[in-house]
Amino acid sequence: MVSFFISYLVPLLVLALLLWPRSGYLWRWRRLVRLSGRVLLEDGLKHLYDCEYRRRTASVESLAGVLEVPRSRAAEVLIQLEAMRMASSTVEEGVALTAAGREEALRIIRIHRLWERHLAERTGVSRVRWHEEAERQEHHLSAQETETLSEEMGHPAYDPHGDPIPTANGEVPPQSSLPLTALNEWELGRIEHVEDEPVEVYQRLIDAGLHPGVLVQLTRLNEEEVRLVADGRHHSLPPVMAGNLFVYPVDEEMPGPYDSLDDLELDESAQVVRISPACRGLERRRLMDIGLVPGTAVSMEMRSPTGDPKAYQIRGATIALRRHQARHIQIERGLDERAIGVQPTVSVEEQV
Amino acid sequence: MMQEHTPSEKILERVGSLRWTAGHDFHDELVESLYTDAARIADRAVTRKGERGRFDMDRTIDRLVTSRWLGFPLMLLMLTIVFWLTIEGANYPSAMLATLLVDTIRPLFHSGATAIGLPWWLSGLLIDGIYLAMAWVISVMLPPMAIFFPLFTLLEDFGYLPRVAFNLDGLFRRAGAHGKQALTMAMGFGCNAAAIVSTRVIDSPRERLIAIITNNFALCNGRWPTQILVATIFIGGLAPAHLAGLVSAAAVVSVAVLGIVLTFVVSWALSRTVLKGEASAFSLELPPYRPPQILRTIYTSVIDRTLIVLWRAVVFAIPAGAVIWLASNIQVADLSLAEHFINFTGPFGAVVGLNGVILLAYVIAIPANEIVIPTILMLTVLTARLSGAGDGAGVMFEPDSLEANAEVLRAGGWTLLTALNLMLFSLVHNPCSTTIYTIYRETKSAKWTTVASLLPVVMGFVMCFVVAQVWRLFS
Repeated sequence: MVSFFISYLVPLLVLALLLWPRSGYLWRWRRLVRLSGRVLLEDGLKHLYDCEYRRRTASVESLAGVLEVPRSRAAEVLIQLEAMRMASSTVEEGVALTAAGREEALRIIRIHRLWERHLAERTGVSRVRWHEEAERQEHHLSAQETETLSEEMGHPAYDPHGDPIPTANGEVPPQSSLPLTALNEWELGRIEHVEDEPVEVYQRLIDAGLHPGVLVQLTRLNEEEVRLVADGRHHSLPPVMAGNLFVYPVDEEMPGPYDSLDDLELDESAQVVRISPACRGLERRRLMDIGLVPGTAVSMEMRSPTGDPKAYQIRGATIALRRHQARHIQIERGLDERAIGVQPTVSVEEQV
Repeated sequence: MMQEHTPSEKILERVGSLRWTAGHDFHDELVESLYTDAARIADRAVTRKGERGRFDMDRTIDRLVTSRWLGFPLMLLMLTIVFWLTIEGANYPSAMLATLLVDTIRPLFHSGATAIGLPWWLSGLLIDGIYLAMAWVISVMLPPMAIFFPLFTLLEDFGYLPRVAFNLDGLFRRAGAHGKQALTMAMGFGCNAAAIVSTRVIDSPRERLIAIITNNFALCNGRWPTQILVATIFIGGLAPAHLAGLVSAAAVVSVAVLGIVLTFVVSWALSRTVLKGEASAFSLELPPYRPPQILRTIYTSVIDRTLIVLWRAVVFAIPAGAVIWLASNIQVADLSLAEHFINFTGPFGAVVGLNGVILLAYVIAIPANEIVIPTILMLTVLTARLSGAGDGAGVMFEPDSLEANAEVLRAGGWTLLTALNLMLFSLVHNPCSTTIYTIYRETKSAKWTTVASLLPVVMGFVMCFVVAQVWRLFS
């Protein structure tokens, strides 16, 4: 028995020590490698650009914090950037980017955001890992590969968090959104950007259905909590978290509140109002392929033994959907088919 | 010079300014408006007869087979019925084929060979090696496949299988896999190679790979005979005579259910490690029930599935037959190659609770799992130097009675542990070469083919090792 432990458990432990994510030796070694050289410089440039865009002041301290390195190392990075004429620092204004530095920063940001978009639309990589993956990829993609990627996706303008993707010429629109907490009570805003760091906060916001494109209305704002209505659901967030949502005020009426397809009871029927803006890209098109467009009548037909998925009657066919998808489909109950004059948001003629 | 913009420049400028203001998802909005317009036009132009087209009968069946308490038991019952029909129904034609191919035609070949004066080694290689392997594969494989595949297709045609996928999706979702993997898994109970082709119904590459890699855990037809024989001799033998049949059947079904559990566990592990990702969108159409077209189903499933799979198995069985015969008849230093291998791997086999004969049988039987039992019997007779049993070195055989089987195996030093581990290893080992080849054809990736082939063998050895250690600890 003792020999069993020695010959099998010990090697296993050693392997775990080596390979364990984040705390294993291999992981630490990779971080060490990252700390040296180009990667650090590029991440530094990105931070300087971020400060400029959000009109904050960059300093050695803020740089050290973002790069997770000691201050001395952060200072070295800054000195090196200045030597490369990418950054300049003055006593009054702190550290700022030069034109060349800004161009380089935008190039890296372009790859980062394109990659996030790619992960969101074409892979099964989970939301919370998009940022981390893109952080790695941004240092590796060549100019040629970046352009091919952009072209394949139809030159998208925004990343999945709502940030603009710089064009190949380095153009970005001016920052126009405000933190959610800047709205007045009862004012409406459309979420433009959800800050993806720290991951824990991002995860909670996304779980609550607060995606870019969703309309929110502030119902109460004080120092303890921020209350809001989004997509017909009520939320309460600590102000720190609400500050990670950026919105732009809109002059619209709050739609809904709507129930989702998942709220239907057995044999109950309803009409589709719309597919939530949180559901995008391929997933959205799949739902529309099934015939889930505004005005379609649906009814709940069966529930599987585990409760998820459920099967719905849609345009004469019985189709099973998982809960995760059914939640995206917003419905209205007890309406006659003709009474609901749902207009498509954009008509084909207007677009042309 | 005058600064005049050409029309194309004007358009580009306008595009540039609209780029940031057209909205985040204007592509999606555009697509949605197209769909909505199309649906509106269709609704105006198409008249549907009877909005509620679903018959009450359909609804009753659906509510029953997907009900919370009856859904899973009904599925198990269906599975058991299909297996029972396959095993029972295949018995008789299998025996008939074996009599015809092995007992009648083979002696004819032998006397023919003697008549034209073939040297003993050539007739041995051709008739006792190659022909016999083919004959075993055909007689063991053809009848169950010719029963299982049509039954499977009938259930599919009737509309029951999509309901199985619907019932099991909750579990597959938690494992990070696709709901349609239930269909390919069910297909795997017939033949893993055919099931791997059928994973084409899964359109997400990540989830399809998971379905391909885990399909081997669905106990295929070729492995049922091994399970049934070993369970009957060693596990059924533990129970009183009147319960023996039931106990051994329960043992085989437990192994099959263990395979289903492993499918979930390995899918879960894969989707959290090397095939990381979230479950993709899933929609499954549940078609209305309809009376199956029995004749057409039998015709197409026999032609499309059974014969194609059988042909591949026969092609792969030919070299296996030659290897078996040669390994048992080429002698080096007074022992045949087979005996050298068996003696050499014996200690390792003992550590994992198996033996050298089983290991060699699984190496030789890579082309077709059907010949595992005949090979094991032949090799046991060969190494234990039993007299009066078997047909000679390198000649696969299956004794006429169960007692004769049991006697041969006990003489080879088999215990209950050997039997148990053989059943486990038969469930969890590398796929047969037909399946490996199919995996390569479907994935076009040497890497994933290697993973799919080696992962189960490693798991099998680890499982057998753990069982053997625990067993020895308590006995």
